[in-house]
Amino acid sequence: METIVELKNVTKVIKGRTIIDNISFQVNKGEVFGFLGPNGAGKTTTIRMIVGLMGITSGDITIGGASIKTQFEDAVGHVGAIVENPEMYKFLTGYQNLVHYARMSKGITKEKITETIELVGLTERINDKVKTYSLGMRQRLGLAQCLLHDPAVLILDEPTNGLDPAGIREIRDYVRLLAREKNMAVIVSSHLLSEMEMMCDRIGIIQNGRLIDVQHMKEFVHNTEVTYELEVVPSESALSLIKTNYPNVRANLSRNGISVELPKEEIPNLVKTFVANEIQIFGIKEVAKTLEDRFLEVTAEKGAAQHG
Amino acid sequence: MVNLLKNEWMKIFKRPGTYVMIAILIVITALVGILSKYQEQDFKADPNWEQTLRQENLALEKQMEQTKMDFKKEIAINEYRIKHHIPPKEKYHVWSFVKDTSQLIILAGLFTIIISAGIVASEFNWGTIKLLLIRPINRSKILASKYLTILLFALLMLGILFVFSAILGAILFGMPDKAVPYLNYYNGQVTEQNIVVHLLIYYGLSSIDTIMLATMAFMISSVFRNSSLAIGLSIFLLFTGATFTTLLAMKFSWAKYILFANTNLSLYFEGTPMLEGMTMSFSIIMLLIYFAIFQFLAFFIFKKRDVAA
Repeated sequence: METIVELKNVTKVIKGRTIIDNISFQVNKGEVFGFLGPNGAGKTTTIRMIVGLMGITSGDITIGGASIKTQFEDAVGHVGAIVENPEMYKFLTGYQNLVHYARMSKGITKEKITETIELVGLTERINDKVKTYSLGMRQRLGLAQCLLHDPAVLILDEPTNGLDPAGIREIRDYVRLLAREKNMAVIVSSHLLSEMEMMCDRIGIIQNGRLIDVQHMKEFVHNTEVTYELEVVPSESALSLIKTNYPNVRANLSRNGISVELPKEEIPNLVKTFVANEIQIFGIKEVAKTLEDRFLEVTAEKGAAQHG
Repeated sequence: MVNLLKNEWMKIFKRPGTYVMIAILIVITALVGILSKYQEQDFKADPNWEQTLRQENLALEKQMEQTKMDFKKEIAINEYRIKHHIPPKEKYHVWSFVKDTSQLIILAGLFTIIISAGIVASEFNWGTIKLLLIRPINRSKILASKYLTILLFALLMLGILFVFSAILGAILFGMPDKAVPYLNYYNGQVTEQNIVVHLLIYYGLSSIDTIMLATMAFMISSVFRNSSLAIGLSIFLLFTGATFTTLLAMKFSWAKYILFANTNLSLYFEGTPMLEGMTMSFSIIMLLIYFAIFQFLAFFIFKKRDVAA
């Protein structure tokens, strides 16, 4: 895997306050990197530094080997981005907006513009003024704007903000498609965990300006023991049975019955024991931990470690 | 760079406000024309104008001795007229009208300032600055293209005013019977100048304060990202700056360092400077200093700014 974006010990201090504290990570070609954190954690600030909208207090960011500080034009030439809402010139048509941005990069032909418009599915409305567009259409125009020059890195800051489920799904599909077919590196920021779970290959979790964890999505979500939820009656005697048979296993009463962390192989044995003891079983469910649980877990742990 | 200029030009001319400005400029010029036509009196050439001028000169010389006021210019021009048979009064014609409409340059200036004040600040207001600054073009170039656009816009407004006045003047008042030169008095010498050349220079010189104020509005716009402040302050100074400076100049000699004491360069060609001891080169240097300060502030702050809008 080839690294395309690299942050090295990036720190941002504004008016004596450290907004971003010593962040380092890399993003590879062809992967979707999620940037996750609560509001105000520093996601947008970091993204603004990557695209050169904000200065870097210390450390450096390179894109395709060029430093955004000293070789701005080379570095940013690799990037297509939407920072927060895709604000366009409302008094211009969609097409004029694209022409405007196309003129600012080298070698974008008319055909390329037409092709990009088709890709994002705006062909019919492209000659209407942007002020008549819906939010979803603006988002698509924003996407067209950053794809014009075939960037190696696509940066989307809160791309699904304010979109309806269909719009969210559309964006997600584009992002996956671009990473897979054009080998683009995509950096997506969001505070919506479920979104990230479906879109990203790796995620970095940021809290209070610190990068507290970078993990592969699969490991991140599944790297823990699975919990089973047992719908059994009477649950009290079932619980004491589990405790006598598996003394080292975590088990407690839950809303619907009992939740227990057991290896999969042990489930049939447990069922036999229940049946032998005349406990009625209505259902057994595997409950995978969601990103949300993990996220709250991680931020709580690390937060406690850092403050404590 | 050409592409950046095209972009800025497109952003100005795809907004209806711009056309309203041009329309206002044209309508007001037309009104001035109609009013002048209405008030135009039948022209009667004075057959004894040489006699009249001689008498006038005698009177002026007498007055000069008594009051120590300077009428050298008037006397010299009158003498030149007598010598070369150029009557002082002529029929009101197209070029007289163009000269009169130069009063409207302030209107062209007003519109230029409005555009100038918005050209950077609006990008921040619209939020489009973010998408604008993540292109492979450095910020100085983007700002420079915006400033050049302002200059082009000012030129366009002045061009519209000049050409429209000339056309309207030709229609309403007709061309002069023969090419009458403009008499220029400079350094004790009277010279003849083609009237159109004279008017072009006159328009150019009259727009200096407009250009300076547009530059200031541009600076405020890029430093404070606030177009209202830029428009308000610049227009206030456009209308009052010269008056205030004149008042200050009566009391304090440092008034000569104020921007507006130096914007009227035509004073050095056909009048007396605002303060004793001011010269053309002094004013030009002052203008350049102001210009450099405005541009430095605009570029320095725009380049360093963290865009968090």
